[in-house]
Amino acid sequence: MLDIENLYACIPDGREILKGVTLSVKAGEVHALMGPNGSGKSTLAGILSGKPGYQVTAGTVNYEGRDLLAMPADERAREGVFLAFQYPVEIPGVNNTYFLRAALNARRKQQGKPDLDAGQFLKLVRSKLKLLEIGEDLLQRGVNVGFSGGEKKRNEVFQMAILEPRLAILDETDSGLDIDALQTVAKGINALRDRSRAVVMITHYQRLLNFVVPDRVHVLSGGRIVKSGDKSLALELEKSGYAAYGDAA
Amino acid sequence: MLAEAKPYVEAFAATRATNEPAWLGRRRDAAIKRFGELGFPTRRQESWRFNDLRPLTRNVFAPARDGATAEPAALDPWKLKVPSHRVVLVNGGFSGKLSAIGALPKGVWLASTARTLADRPELLEPALRETDMAGAQPFAALNAALFADGFVLALEPGVTLGNPVEIIHLEQGVQQSFHLRNLIRLGAGSRATLVETYAGSGANWINAVGVIDLAQGAALTHVTVQDESREAIHLGQNRIELAAKSRYESFVLTLGGRLSRHDSLVKLDGEGAHGVLDGAYLLRGEQEATNATFVEHVAPGGTSREYFKGVAQDRAHGVFLGTIAVRPNAQKTDAHMLNKNLLLSRRAAIDTKPELDILADDVKCSHGATVGDLDEAALFYLESRGIPPDEARRMLVEAFAVEAVERVENPDLRAHLAAHLSRWLAGGDGK
Repeated sequence: MLDIENLYACIPDGREILKGVTLSVKAGEVHALMGPNGSGKSTLAGILSGKPGYQVTAGTVNYEGRDLLAMPADERAREGVFLAFQYPVEIPGVNNTYFLRAALNARRKQQGKPDLDAGQFLKLVRSKLKLLEIGEDLLQRGVNVGFSGGEKKRNEVFQMAILEPRLAILDETDSGLDIDALQTVAKGINALRDRSRAVVMITHYQRLLNFVVPDRVHVLSGGRIVKSGDKSLALELEKSGYAAYGDAA
Repeated sequence: MLAEAKPYVEAFAATRATNEPAWLGRRRDAAIKRFGELGFPTRRQESWRFNDLRPLTRNVFAPARDGATAEPAALDPWKLKVPSHRVVLVNGGFSGKLSAIGALPKGVWLASTARTLADRPELLEPALRETDMAGAQPFAALNAALFADGFVLALEPGVTLGNPVEIIHLEQGVQQSFHLRNLIRLGAGSRATLVETYAGSGANWINAVGVIDLAQGAALTHVTVQDESREAIHLGQNRIELAAKSRYESFVLTLGGRLSRHDSLVKLDGEGAHGVLDGAYLLRGEQEATNATFVEHVAPGGTSREYFKGVAQDRAHGVFLGTIAVRPNAQKTDAHMLNKNLLLSRRAAIDTKPELDILADDVKCSHGATVGDLDEAALFYLESRGIPPDEARRMLVEAFAVEAVERVENPDLRAHLAAHLSRWLAGGDGK
């Protein structure tokens, strides 16, 4: 589904952050991407989702047979790529329901499906609110406005549950969550898992991986994947830390 | 006499009404004389230095007195969705066919200015003051000389008018000028809601003057929607006097007009008066729009709030001029003014000039202004959910403008204004 080949990229100030990332994710798989601060995890997430400001200097990213880097951000999303933001953005004045419905119908249009009417949409939204244990009052508020850190993270997973992406990239969705919220978020991610979808979880900690068990674990350090393994690699990292992989922090 | 004023002075002489009360004739004569002396404003005058008046001065707009007719369907985009007392004027004249004033409670007068002049001239007399004849505002003077119609709303003390009063002015055709004189007079403790709408398809000049008097404890909610054609010129000014404990809350939505200007001059004359001047202007193409406010705190304990939001795209030009003047006696004044703008194109322009002029020492006053672009992080967030960039931008512009509209307390009026905003954003204004 996703093939990243020898990717090099710079951030806006010109510093090269990614130095030859190669990663292949197949449909049905969950990958965990771990690594010290500054190793390039969020840069990779930004590049995959089409965030402006990054410059890819070499390499390719192939998503379901297409050149992902040639697609604008909104098109990627409509084609099923979803980024759960590390820092979700507050947008006062844009109503959550209005926003979600516009996003979902944009995706459905791409898939050749008709718009959901207000009743169908509300039914879908209610079932996902329940899954993520979010109150219905959220729907009447502005996007992320007045949300606590944990609520924002939960709202990201809620949006993911509504949009049902093919490829979900979760950028530190577990950080700042207490154990109850972590389990709820994990439930949301697990509900999405099936043979046709893939998930890439970026995280510092093994904690989330107790609830969402990954098929593969990678260590990103110095802008490259320096080690890959199964779930036991995460447990090993939890014990020994990133020191062996050149902690840039 | 100044050359550009001449056609109007001559038109006055040619069309001077002879069946009016003598006092009105004298005032009209004095007013046209004053206009001849003043002529049109120029950029050398501080209050007009941001305005390009050439669309007005390059042409002569023949003063029209007779009104015109329009199809009832022409009102559909503008009518309130709730029951109202509706006065309709077409090309400066009252339209009996389109108006639907309905039954009015006792103690309420709502009629055209021409009708009021015929039946209750004493009501209108205070609406024509010395300032028109001796002041520095040429358009008020010209209006005093040439006005033919408009509307008058007068409430006796203690009367509450439940349904809103709705004034719709439609204009059509080209190169005419419509000088409207409006009067709103609320007796002590009375309450009313007023929505004025200016719309149409023509390329004319509307010169409207409103005189608004609120007696002690009276309350007026006043919404103005200006969505003229993008060839029209619209100059409107309201002079508002607030007695003790009266409340005036206004919202001015500017969407139309090639050249437009809305002046609100508010005098808080009685202790504890409260004035709100809010508004939004959304401009595209070659539009130029000015909102000018002058809030004068004369008596102690007055409060005033101003919040204007502006959006300029293409080559449009938005101007906000705001002055809060606190006179020496106006202690315990609490006055705040804020103007925020979105500049959406490199060729669009915003001028904003909030000012304080404070002569009392125990006051709370503030003013501020911002000009910015859309939030890039918010834009990317929306796009990252599959929303196309154009739609994402539209959502953010709407969010920006709606925030001003949300300050309007009456939910029907809020919905009315929000619907106008959405229509503008959808570009479906047929312009």
